[in-house]
Amino acid sequence: MNRFEEFAREAFDLATIPGKPEALKGVRVLELATRIYGPATADYLGELGAEVIKVEMPGKGDLMRYVAPEGFFWQDVSPAFLPQNRNKLHVGIDLHPAEGKELFIRLAEKSDVVVENLRAGTMDAWGIGYRTLRERNPRLVYAANSGFGQWGPYAAGRASYDATAQAVSGMSAITGFPGRAPVRVGLWIGDFTGSLFSAIAILAALYARRTTGEGQMIDLAQAEVLIRALDWTWLYADRTGRDRERAGNRDVAFPPSGIYRCADGFVAVSARDGAEREALERVLGGSAASDAVAAFAAARTRDEVVRASEEAGFSAAPVAGGRDQYHSRHLRARGTVWELSDPLYGRIDEFGPVPKLSESPGRIKWTAKPVGYHNEQVLGGLLGLSGEELAALERKKVVGKWADVRGARPPGREDDAPAGAAGPAPPGGGPREKNP
Amino acid sequence: MTDFAAWAREATDPARAPGKPEALPGVRVVEYAPGHPGGMVAASVLAEFGAEVVKVEPPGGDPARGYAPEGIVVAGTGLPFLAEARNRRFVTLSVERPEGRDIFRRLAGVSDVVVTTEPERAMEAAGIGYLALRGAVPGIVYLSLSTYGAFGPDAARPVRDADVLCQALSGVPYVTGDPEGEGPDPETEVPTKTGNWHGWFAQGLWGACGVLAALNFRAETGRGQFVDVSGAEALMKFVDYNITWMHTAGRERQRTGVYDPAVFPYTYIRCKDGHTFIAAYNDDAFESLAHIIGRPGLAQDPRFRTGPDRTKAENEKALHAILEEWSTARTADTILREIEDYTSKKSGPGAAVVTGRVNRPLETLAEENWRLRGCFTRVAAPPYGELLLAAPPWKMSGTPPRVKSACRPPGADNEAVYSGLLGLAPPELASLSDRRVI
Repeated sequence: MNRFEEFAREAFDLATIPGKPEALKGVRVLELATRIYGPATADYLGELGAEVIKVEMPGKGDLMRYVAPEGFFWQDVSPAFLPQNRNKLHVGIDLHPAEGKELFIRLAEKSDVVVENLRAGTMDAWGIGYRTLRERNPRLVYAANSGFGQWGPYAAGRASYDATAQAVSGMSAITGFPGRAPVRVGLWIGDFTGSLFSAIAILAALYARRTTGEGQMIDLAQAEVLIRALDWTWLYADRTGRDRERAGNRDVAFPPSGIYRCADGFVAVSARDGAEREALERVLGGSAASDAVAAFAAARTRDEVVRASEEAGFSAAPVAGGRDQYHSRHLRARGTVWELSDPLYGRIDEFGPVPKLSESPGRIKWTAKPVGYHNEQVLGGLLGLSGEELAALERKKVVGKWADVRGARPPGREDDAPAGAAGPAPPGGGPREKNP
Repeated sequence: MTDFAAWAREATDPARAPGKPEALPGVRVVEYAPGHPGGMVAASVLAEFGAEVVKVEPPGGDPARGYAPEGIVVAGTGLPFLAEARNRRFVTLSVERPEGRDIFRRLAGVSDVVVTTEPERAMEAAGIGYLALRGAVPGIVYLSLSTYGAFGPDAARPVRDADVLCQALSGVPYVTGDPEGEGPDPETEVPTKTGNWHGWFAQGLWGACGVLAALNFRAETGRGQFVDVSGAEALMKFVDYNITWMHTAGRERQRTGVYDPAVFPYTYIRCKDGHTFIAAYNDDAFESLAHIIGRPGLAQDPRFRTGPDRTKAENEKALHAILEEWSTARTADTILREIEDYTSKKSGPGAAVVTGRVNRPLETLAEENWRLRGCFTRVAAPPYGELLLAAPPWKMSGTPPRVKSACRPPGADNEAVYSGLLGLAPPELASLSDRRVI
């Protein structure tokens, strides 16, 4: 073991994480957002140590609670709701009545960041937009996530989802096979990529605030995020006057790099430089054309191709799916598949933090909770409302908790069908009983 | 334009960025990412926010300059490098040579952040790895980008990091494309990668995110740290509910092509002039869509009445075909107009019928909206001519990001950096140059 490996074994030991400081400790984020592009921004900041208060409509809450894969709920929560809603304090406030708005403003006064993803201008029309909030808290960093931005021809009421951004940006036009239909990436890539861009700008704005003493507004359109991510597409269009063609699974910058079919699945073969191409040619016994690589891969398993690449000096990696990832020893050792013990739901494994910080690591402390689960803690504890005040607001339906429906309510109902409160039963040998 | 939109434009229009302060002034970054666009993305993001980035290239130029799709090269540099090389100073340095390593350590010594994409094992062997640098510069934030990450059972795998490797491991291709037997051509019914380098982008972006969090921590505590980002994990993070669905249901997400396991319709449909996106997946929105396409009865059809009905595989197919009967007689713009005419009179969930043309790049470039919002910028960059670059997407009122300069030739800033920053005398520079250290 060299010195770095020795260092890394200690510095990144998952067991040491709870005892280490958090990078964003003391940063409070107020989230008024639904679905992904907004909640995920706050989640990314929460992983790094920010305190996140998620405001939802009392009753049904964030409509993402009801987006359930094949209609499947686990302990009355959708597995599609969890990944972008960890480490949050859930508060149910109706922002339609004036008292609800005032509660929101008081929370914003005590926050460093607001993240919202309502249609452009909605918050302002409700009287809780950036212009109002900055009067009460000039240090506030306000992130407005939207499809098309807060101003401009498309800003006026035009709704957007992830795939709108994939479509209008040009991303889909360059994804897929020549002569076939453009391909929508099979995940909410515009939402998650946009969420990350948003978190980055918030961090930059918080850094700037150390000097300027002031917050600011961030207007981020998810279509524009994907435009930024299309590498050489724009220079190519500008210089040639042509559209970049779909190239299927080949990376045309590094022929014959690409994804190939093999005996038991698919594998990526990569030759980034001359040395790797020569190594590939040696193995193929001739020119490294795509056809030769395809024939080579087809006769071997994923593991055999990867082994051959490691012996020869080019690169390869299996095309992995969720099952491979869930059972990966590597991803679990890195906390990328994070083994969480949640106080309400028990054991639940999640995607952990991406950047691994040696001194102030990110972490998952708990997973999503029912609507209004932390009302007392936040409205009583942080805002100092008395029990009577809170009760009065509840009677007026300004403040509230979950509706008695799947997706919104706590686990443990008798009529819950599959997993119930007995806890998860993962396939394939079950999880290890170690928690970070 | 509403009062708010007018105010927002005034406050955040990128055209007004010059003259405003930047977010990261005084933060200096050394980028050592030979042949690696992902490392360039990380450094670009920091540079767009005002960090001063010094890009270290091997003498003769970065291998990434040679990446040239369709063989297109401008003054010795390919388009991918030209697209990402912005707001930097370009120096050359051979870290193969002891003198070069010494200069690298001196550069790091006057910097806040190091961005590298070389395996940490190689950096350590060269004496410029994290442990060596933090000894000399205790507050250094050191970002390492790789395929598998810097620790863990697979960390030692000998790969040259590449976008296609990160994509493959991420699970993105696994759920993208037509399922077998569902498409027009078995050759294309396969896991499909994104056309752009989304793996490298995600890797660089998460890297920048980690660095910013680490800078925040350093501002509070004075302590630097090692930031480890795996490109595979960076993109993996975007794959929706892969892990939670496996854990709770033992189910793995599959490719579903134009269909979607959780929401429908949420799909691309053919239209007269190409393809367009259409979504109307909550019950109210679907009822709106049924009216828009002139078949109001569909909302009561037992196959399509509720979300769970609509997401049954056979019902998704039937509904997709019904939608294309309507859409193939219309252009994408007509579809947008018809939908907006209807939804502008609605509010709440019933208004959530959403569409957008699947633009080819030239169509995107031709849309006034992006031009007006400053999404693209033209920068004079001799000897490469004028370059059309995608601008930073954030519109910010206080410290907006901006593109200040574009690509320069290898070593163009050697003198400014080595003399100006490190104080090397001209004879020293000349001697280093003669010996091909720089």
